[in-house]
Amino acid sequence: MIYTAGIDVGSTYVKAIILNENGDLVGSAIHSTGFLIEETSKNMLEEARERAGINSADIGCITTAGFGRSMVSFRNTQVTDLIAQSWGVRALYPATHTIIDIGGQTMKAIRLDDGGRVMNFRLNDKCAAGSGTFLEKTAHYLGYGIEEIAPLVERSTKAVPISGICAVFAESEVINHISQGEKPEDIMHGAMLSLTERSVSLMKQVQMQPEFTLVGGIMRFPVMARVLRESLGGAANVPPENLAQFTGAIGAALLARRHLEKKTD
Amino acid sequence: MRLTDALRYYVNTRVMGWTAIRVNRLYSEMKTRFRKERKDSYTAPPLRISSRTKEMIARHYLDGRFAKPYRKVAWVTSGAPVEILNALGFHLFYPENHGAICGVSRTAEEISGEAEDAGYSPDICSYARTDIGSALSGKTPVGKLPPPDILVACTNICQTVLYWYGFLAHHFKVPLILIDTPFIYTEASDHSIEYVKKQLEAAVPIAEGVAGKTLDERKLKDFMYKSRIAMDLWMEILGRGAHRPTPISAFDQFIHMAPIVEMRGHSHTIDFYAAMLKEVDRRIAHGIGAVKNERKRLLWDNLPIWHKFRFLSETLGKHGVVLAASTYTNAWAELAPMIDPEKPFESAARAYLHPMLNRGAGHKLNTMRRMIEKYSLDGVILHSDRSCKPYSIGQMDQRTLLMSEYGIPALLLEADHCDPRYFTDARTTTLLMAFIEMLGQ
Amino acid sequence: MHEALTSIPCRREIIRAHKESGGRVAAVLPIHYPRALFRAFQILPVELWGPPEIDPQYSKAHLQPYVCPLVHNALSYITGPESEVFDLVAVPHTCDSLQGLCSILTDLILPRQPVFPIYLPRGRRESDAQFLANEFHALYRKLEALTSLSPSEDEVMACILREEDADEVLAELNRKRKFLPLCQRDFYHLLRSREYLPAERFCELAKSFLAKAENESRDKGLPIILSGIVPEPMSLFEFIERAGGVVVADDLACCGRRLYGPGEDNDVFRRMAKSILSAPPDSTRGSSIQERADHMVRMVKMSGAKAVLFYCMKFCEPELFGHPPLRDELNKINIPTLVIESELSEASLNPSVGSLELFLETILCG
Repeated sequence: MIYTAGIDVGSTYVKAIILNENGDLVGSAIHSTGFLIEETSKNMLEEARERAGINSADIGCITTAGFGRSMVSFRNTQVTDLIAQSWGVRALYPATHTIIDIGGQTMKAIRLDDGGRVMNFRLNDKCAAGSGTFLEKTAHYLGYGIEEIAPLVERSTKAVPISGICAVFAESEVINHISQGEKPEDIMHGAMLSLTERSVSLMKQVQMQPEFTLVGGIMRFPVMARVLRESLGGAANVPPENLAQFTGAIGAALLARRHLEKKTD
Repeated sequence: MRLTDALRYYVNTRVMGWTAIRVNRLYSEMKTRFRKERKDSYTAPPLRISSRTKEMIARHYLDGRFAKPYRKVAWVTSGAPVEILNALGFHLFYPENHGAICGVSRTAEEISGEAEDAGYSPDICSYARTDIGSALSGKTPVGKLPPPDILVACTNICQTVLYWYGFLAHHFKVPLILIDTPFIYTEASDHSIEYVKKQLEAAVPIAEGVAGKTLDERKLKDFMYKSRIAMDLWMEILGRGAHRPTPISAFDQFIHMAPIVEMRGHSHTIDFYAAMLKEVDRRIAHGIGAVKNERKRLLWDNLPIWHKFRFLSETLGKHGVVLAASTYTNAWAELAPMIDPEKPFESAARAYLHPMLNRGAGHKLNTMRRMIEKYSLDGVILHSDRSCKPYSIGQMDQRTLLMSEYGIPALLLEADHCDPRYFTDARTTTLLMAFIEMLGQ
Repeated sequence: MHEALTSIPCRREIIRAHKESGGRVAAVLPIHYPRALFRAFQILPVELWGPPEIDPQYSKAHLQPYVCPLVHNALSYITGPESEVFDLVAVPHTCDSLQGLCSILTDLILPRQPVFPIYLPRGRRESDAQFLANEFHALYRKLEALTSLSPSEDEVMACILREEDADEVLAELNRKRKFLPLCQRDFYHLLRSREYLPAERFCELAKSFLAKAENESRDKGLPIILSGIVPEPMSLFEFIERAGGVVVADDLACCGRRLYGPGEDNDVFRRMAKSILSAPPDSTRGSSIQERADHMVRMVKMSGAKAVLFYCMKFCEPELFGHPPLRDELNKINIPTLVIESELSEASLNPSVGSLELFLETILCG
């Protein structure tokens, strides 16, 4: 059997996926990106391959996506995150018309047409208040680690308003709330709401249409997915477990398959 | 025009609406009369005229709400030559004033968010963003806005109105009259005055076409005459701020300026300001200050921060600091002497060329110097308003010069007139406390 | 730089040569102004679009951070040592920020040179043309006082005709762009040499390139239209090229919005005014959204462009207001658009490159 691999080289994490001919996921791996992009990508591919229990020679095509897509020399093809995401998400939720992808450094809203082609997209502006890093920084100010964000927000009973138009302003607001004696969980909840508002605004800018699918590293916090889903009026797909982080890589692996098929045609 | 339309309009506004609003005003006046003065407040109780201001604004918006189809509606900039439109019977709607109402009622963030969702940058003027958001979504804190039949934009306050009204013209598909007023760096050239006059004259047939009436020159003169009287009264009122303690603060001026902007030229506006002047004089006679225990007097430069009114007035009032004058409210008074009802077009051309915002940074500096002297001021707060570049550029040098010339402290306060996202109470409190300390005992 | 471009003299050289010949040099801010009028007084207008890479330390003490980077840089430059070569500064009234700059230069900061504002009307009515002609006449008087020269009407007309020739050659360059043996960055370098070269030198230079035009189009890549104020940093073109795009037409304030036709009038002042008012739609001159949209749609059709890139300067209100409706109009004819923002410097462009790549690659793959 010939397998295909997709590597999503994101700004914060590198994600690798291996699919078999039927499109079943047989191996995956994830690691923070760091500076050695090529090496990390290689390691992740190896790790995913080992998990799949296959040989290197079984992989017929490697497709990369993400900001570091062109920095991986052993790739066979590369695609943009937008196309990779649209393929990955559509494979899981074929009726998706709008994707919001919130990663460490960027937030993307992607609007697809009925056939799954990218019609429109928007990236958040350069300010860090519109990405996962903002939550991480807020947690840091409050003296918590990234993985503590979810349980912390679960405890919150109200959200402290944080405007979040700009990371610098938002940070000073957070510090001010701390000094005013607000509870850390409520501040964190506020930060999450501010991020949610930004994502909804970005989705509106691409003239969002249901179904909505929420992906990206930030969706590994169930509470974020819940808050975002609520502000979208209840209905939105979120890939189960940690798949939300892997949709780009899945899409890349599917595109690798298409590449192979085109070649044999 | 159908008779039933007219009838419906008058019944809804003048008969039912105005009566309800009047009852509301009388009730609130009665409440004020019997209300005990709050001992914990640092400021004087609101002027009694306040309930009438509210009544006037409420009536104005009510008229707008029921204007169609009986009356034609014009959306205009704050510096637009409205006398012509008034004389043609248009109902005037001021998007800037609506923006201020959204700011005060703290709905601006949500409404301007609608514009941002449609792709408008948060870096454009927050009045414009709020207005665009309102036009796109229909959201407003005043019920419903009357859609325009015509737009009149005058560049004497900024170039932003050019792009803003360009959006409105595109969105509502109605004619836009542009009155372009060349910026005055030193003095107005003859060809500038001629240019504005020609544009005013050319505007008449367009406005007449929309109104379905011809301009009655007597009416035009009458509106100009009444505008001038109202502006003179407003100038008198502002001048009373020179008394010690100052009877009305800039915060009061901001609240009570709506009629001079939106309703100048009408008899009831003259009556209103005459009554206000009386009340202010009564305060002077009784030695009532806008701030109890007035200690220091300040000049406010630029637009108000509409969404932080109470916070600012209380923070300052607590320390006996009063805003005795503002360059902003002065802008609707200083043009009065230029208006000559006998030469409606020529004098309007001259007057509408000369608002402070259409003149150089040096002119504003001189105005501030005059005000510091006239009102015996101890310091200046320059609101650096990211939504108003024409007003704000120059403030950094003006601040340095005023501090060195008069030896008084001056504070540059970064904020936005409508968008609350650029303001944090904590940061501002720290700044204001340091500034108040600098003012000394 | 492309080998061929070494033939373009640099600004410094041109300024020095002009000064040595006894002429004066004016620093002129964006966008529209009467070049011929300055030349009639033996003043060489040299345009200041920023400049892009400059330390804005000085301006930060005078202008708030929400004023556009072009104005910040211009203030730092004008008050800095390098501007000593200029004998005067001219500031067209283009937007609130340039208005503010001119106003503080006139009243508060007072640079070593005299500062001349030029007011530009916001319409294309007869009253606008007449006003602009009067404004130019007033500028004539000021330049007369400065230089003690009084060029005759014929002399002014000769300068106008020379500029009209240069405008025609500029338009020709635009039409033939895909046949010229130049990469995109070099092509724009050539176009933009009009910002400081005397008209006659520009004509000579441009014609030498036009003579090298090839028969086959060199354009390879996704054809796009570039809209904005100024393509600084110029490395933008390399990023576009690398991402697979090629600029086939532009709606840039410094280039495409200044393709002036000849002014049809015998009066010199009216002729200059009409020429400026004949230029393609421009947000700063009060063109309506519909006019701008129609112009862009026409450009798309004529150039075969497949996408439009709005390259926006941070805080530039005249541009920012136009993006949503223009994007809507382009969307209606299935032309994808992207807005990226920069602050003139290389550093400010870098974060947007990813977005640009995504945009072009997605269209190419799609």
